[in-house]
Amino acid sequence: MARPAIRRTRREFLKRSATFAAGASAVLSLPAPAVAQRPKLVYWCYQFLKESDEARANFAREWATKNNVDLQLTMVPWKEFMPKITAAIEAKATPDIVESGGVELRGRGQLLEVTDVYKKLEKTYGGWIGSAPKIMLEPDGRVHHILYGFSGPQLIARNDLLAQVGLKPPPATWVDLLAYAKKAQQPPKTFGLGQPVSNQTDSQIWEEIMKSYGARLADDTGKRVIFGDYKPQVWEFLDFFTEVWKAGVLPPGVTTWDNTMNNSTYQAGKAVFVLNAITISLWLETNNPDLLAKTGHYNFPRGPKRLNQPVTYGSRSIMKYTKMPDLAKQFLWDSMEPGKMDRESAVSQWGPVLNAYLNFDVWKKKPFMKGLIEMSLHGETQGYPDVFNDAWREQFVNTTISRMLQRLVVDSWTRDKAFAEAVDILTKIYAKYA
Amino acid sequence: MRESLGGMGLLAPTVLILLGLVLYPFCYAIWLAFSDKAVGSAGQWVGLRNFAYVIAWPQFSAAVFNTVVFTFSAVALKFVLGMSVALVLNQRIRGRNFFRAFLLLPWVMPAFVVYLVWRWLYDPLSGLINYALMDLGIIGSPIAFLSDRSTAMPSVIVAHVWRNFPLYAISFLAGMQTISQELYDSAQVDGASRVQQFRYITLPGLYHIIGVILLLTTIQTANAFEPVYLLTGGGPSDATMVYTMLVYVMGMVNLRLGEAAAVSTLFLPLLVGLVLVVTVLLQRKANA
Repeated sequence: MARPAIRRTRREFLKRSATFAAGASAVLSLPAPAVAQRPKLVYWCYQFLKESDEARANFAREWATKNNVDLQLTMVPWKEFMPKITAAIEAKATPDIVESGGVELRGRGQLLEVTDVYKKLEKTYGGWIGSAPKIMLEPDGRVHHILYGFSGPQLIARNDLLAQVGLKPPPATWVDLLAYAKKAQQPPKTFGLGQPVSNQTDSQIWEEIMKSYGARLADDTGKRVIFGDYKPQVWEFLDFFTEVWKAGVLPPGVTTWDNTMNNSTYQAGKAVFVLNAITISLWLETNNPDLLAKTGHYNFPRGPKRLNQPVTYGSRSIMKYTKMPDLAKQFLWDSMEPGKMDRESAVSQWGPVLNAYLNFDVWKKKPFMKGLIEMSLHGETQGYPDVFNDAWREQFVNTTISRMLQRLVVDSWTRDKAFAEAVDILTKIYAKYA
Repeated sequence: MRESLGGMGLLAPTVLILLGLVLYPFCYAIWLAFSDKAVGSAGQWVGLRNFAYVIAWPQFSAAVFNTVVFTFSAVALKFVLGMSVALVLNQRIRGRNFFRAFLLLPWVMPAFVVYLVWRWLYDPLSGLINYALMDLGIIGSPIAFLSDRSTAMPSVIVAHVWRNFPLYAISFLAGMQTISQELYDSAQVDGASRVQQFRYITLPGLYHIIGVILLLTTIQTANAFEPVYLLTGGGPSDATMVYTMLVYVMGMVNLRLGEAAAVSTLFLPLLVGLVLVVTVLLQRKANA
């Protein structure tokens, strides 16, 4: 039997439709305001040391929950940061906050000014320490990135192996270090100095050593190359390096080591000395406490002219394209809170950047952290006495000084030829920024 | 008229895609080479300045030389190895199917994994090769394969060949299976040796496959980046600096895209030349 057709009037149809539409929109619109109003931030977190990275990432997640922010967090390995951010800038799809590349991105006008955050932090937490203002403040007084920690290479030594041959660390000068390394090593089981001489940036520690012999690359303006005027100092340094090479204290393969090999060589117990950040020690603390107990941490040895102890840093900055500048600044401010920094410092390679951080217990609890205080307070900016600018950075990532050394030992060039090429390369690079 | 309009309409999407995905990036790269474009900057026209800069750059001449050496050596080795393996696997041997599948293993593994394993194999302190050679008493002290000028490039080539020769072998094997068995039977009746069978039956039967494989892999090999980046970083000194590594350093490390594009543009005639040489040689052989 067929169902009788239900006939409705036009008025009834419209009325029903309107009621249904109103009901549907009321139901669907209930969660809508919450989603729409929830601000979004994209944060690229620097990835280098697991515990430290996790601590910063966890804080970011907690902060996002507390502030009802839709946070998209990406861990970017240190080595991949520049290629990734380069692609992001060119594709106009940048994150809001980044943890690396402060100086490089500032030089290319990619960062939002954060002078207000800098000044507020300075006022609230007792002032910045060491080279922090020098790194952040530009000549016109503006600031584009906020430092959260100092790091940098220290002399890390196998105290037990040195004691076995009657030596007491630390060696006072680089020449002493070579003598210690020669005496304490037992190749192929252990080598005196686990230091790369390759095309990777860790090799540029040789630039610091060269500068402790009195050489420098450019003048005080950071524009004109004067490396050629320092031939006697460079010669004296090259004498030292040649002795290091001939003594066999460098493990085989250092001319193609990447930035992890000095770490892994020491961690495997195969080096007497390395020049590295305390990331090695933090790894040993978890994975090989016995070796950590035999390890000492010291300032760099002196050169004939000066002690050159470089300091590197970790910083956060805001990309200028952000749609949430105030929220991003709030994140920068909150992430520097001393209680939070105290917890992070216990698992990080970062030394203090603000006076309020100097009282943290961690500096007293862990002996290998003591050196971080010294470094943070007195360490010079990378490149010192040269100006830390774009030209210096380009020659640094090109490992100019390490290449000069490789010309001597890999290509058997004469000193004159290798030195002339280094002067030529530096001149070409600095000329682009003059 | 109506028919040709319809044809053009059907071709239009493909033409547009080609223009957008091939021609635009190509022209943009050429423009970059003539600009001072750096990351984050718009870039200004600088004429030939980038070209003058990169040609005078000390590593450029090393990159030209190393790219040619790497490409020719690697392609030749992959060809010989691939052909040898294909000839063996074309015989009725026990476990043939297993070996055919096994052969692809290096090629399907991610490049990153392959080259890191090779890096460890070559390591003078803990690598397997040095350990084995010393254990067998062949060498007295470890060899830094990747860090000595004389061994660095051959070591990179060996690792690259190991990963990529299966493509040659599988392609040649596929080609060999299309050659009629009757030809070999007749040759055997006529008293042709194995070498003669290979020279007068197998090789001519593979000319077209050889042509395509050599053409494609010459380009691919010249553009190889991972082996150098992961094994040596272009070192020691500039012993393994190939042009792709130089482009990476100038573009991604120095952040100067104009200079990186200039290096690529300068290598374009070299790559086109390589491809032309391979094509002409094979064409002549095929027409002979």
